[in-house]
Amino acid sequence: MYAIGKREFFSLAKGSKSLMTISILFLISYFTVKPSGVFVSELTVEEAEMIHNAGLLIFILLFGQLIVAGLSHDSLNREMHERTIRFLVTRTSRAGILFGKFFGVWVFWFMCLAGAFLLTGIVVRKLDLFLFSQTMSLVTFQITVTLLFSVLITKPGYTMFLGIVTGLAFPVCGLFVTYTSNVWVNWLKFVSPYYYLERNDAAFLIIILLAGIMLSLANLIFKRREC
Amino acid sequence: MRAIETKQLKKMYGSVPVVNGLDLVVEKGEIFGLLGRDGAGKSTFINMLTGIVQQSSGTYSLLGVACPNAQVKKRIGVMPEYSALYSSMTAVEHLQYLSSLSGKPAGKQRCIDVLHSVALAAHAHKKSREFSFGMIKKLGIAQAIIHDPELIFLDEPTSGLDAESVLVIHQLIIEMQKRGKTIIMTSHNLDEVERLCTRIAIMKAGQIVRMGTMDELRAFYRQTVKVRIKHAPVPAAQREILYRWLKTAGTKLEIAECYTTIHLEEEKKIADILRAFHHCKTDVYRAEVAGPTLEEIFLDESE
Repeated sequence: MYAIGKREFFSLAKGSKSLMTISILFLISYFTVKPSGVFVSELTVEEAEMIHNAGLLIFILLFGQLIVAGLSHDSLNREMHERTIRFLVTRTSRAGILFGKFFGVWVFWFMCLAGAFLLTGIVVRKLDLFLFSQTMSLVTFQITVTLLFSVLITKPGYTMFLGIVTGLAFPVCGLFVTYTSNVWVNWLKFVSPYYYLERNDAAFLIIILLAGIMLSLANLIFKRREC
Repeated sequence: MRAIETKQLKKMYGSVPVVNGLDLVVEKGEIFGLLGRDGAGKSTFINMLTGIVQQSSGTYSLLGVACPNAQVKKRIGVMPEYSALYSSMTAVEHLQYLSSLSGKPAGKQRCIDVLHSVALAAHAHKKSREFSFGMIKKLGIAQAIIHDPELIFLDEPTSGLDAESVLVIHQLIIEMQKRGKTIIMTSHNLDEVERLCTRIAIMKAGQIVRMGTMDELRAFYRQTVKVRIKHAPVPAAQREILYRWLKTAGTKLEIAECYTTIHLEEEKKIADILRAFHHCKTDVYRAEVAGPTLEEIFLDESE
């Protein structure tokens, strides 16, 4: 599991797409930190401190699924498509492969977001661990959704397409079901991570629980998948 | 200890049984050959044992451990039928990565040694995207043995290799057996199987139709005696009489200008055949009694 995770992490960290992602995250941190912005300058100190850190969360909320899917949509199905998965399944358990992949992608995002939050923290001299935890819980959920698609659909081209569609649809649908008063769809908010992010308590832990369910589902399907 | 034991192992694709209730025991230290035409179920059988596909029903154990079991995977080596590589990795990087997955991380020198044993050491630091088909095959074998497994599955290990490389791989397989390893291999090269394997199973439609050592297989087929006779050209006037007589004496009659091959039910009929040639004023130069080759057994069984 560790070896698979390590390889996944380095393959993500080496690619040009990842460099772009890291750059975007740092640019967002930089510009939300910069007090010269018109919007930020009109806020109180407390509000400004919050907006600095919330910038990244809002970005991940709106574009996280798209970026996570863009980087990792083929982390499992490419191995199945190219049949390199046979080297893995004959050596270790399928759960070990799946959790290794998850671990590698998760550590990559942890490093990126921790770096971005640290940058913000250094400038405003305050490290908002709560917002960081919320952001990480959301990214964890998004990683598990991406892995689930990668196990469900064996062709990398299809998961790329699906990644773009869901990346755009998830925040729209997620925010809609969270705030709508329509009773027919309102109940869906409980399976949407966005609902748990609007609360300033430990509700974000439920997002990690949802991520666990997604990963378990992916594991069940992967165990039955022919390689 | 038994290296492999399967009980009623079955794999269905839809309603079609690809492997149909297979019972097999392979003892430790054997080189076991699986033969069969395309689609006979050889690769599916190996894929089930190695965890690539799940069985529909039945049970199996590897090295005495009931499977599937993640721990036993560290003690087996597999060269799948279709070996694909990570295009951005070198041969050494492949071996280092895959050996670490087996729980026995290999150092650089160990990787070079293994690559040397499959005649690939010269390309140790080349990216696999630059590899030829034969080189991919060799690296496939190298990754199967890098962690020094006890049980090794080789699915068509020499197909597509040049003659020199084939000999290197044969030598490697024999050396591994001498070191107590058990090897299960499939091949379409019958000479290779006949030369290397201590036991052979012939598969047809997902079942083993014949199994044993080469001597046991020959003994089974020796119920008929194959006789090949080199003779002078048969005089035209006698030809019809001789051929009519031969047809009544044996089966699978093959007649050429100076050679006749016939399968007889009993050895004592050889004398009758020779007398018939003599009666038809045809000199016999040589008469060979041949045991069946693996090719003949295979063709007969898989028909």
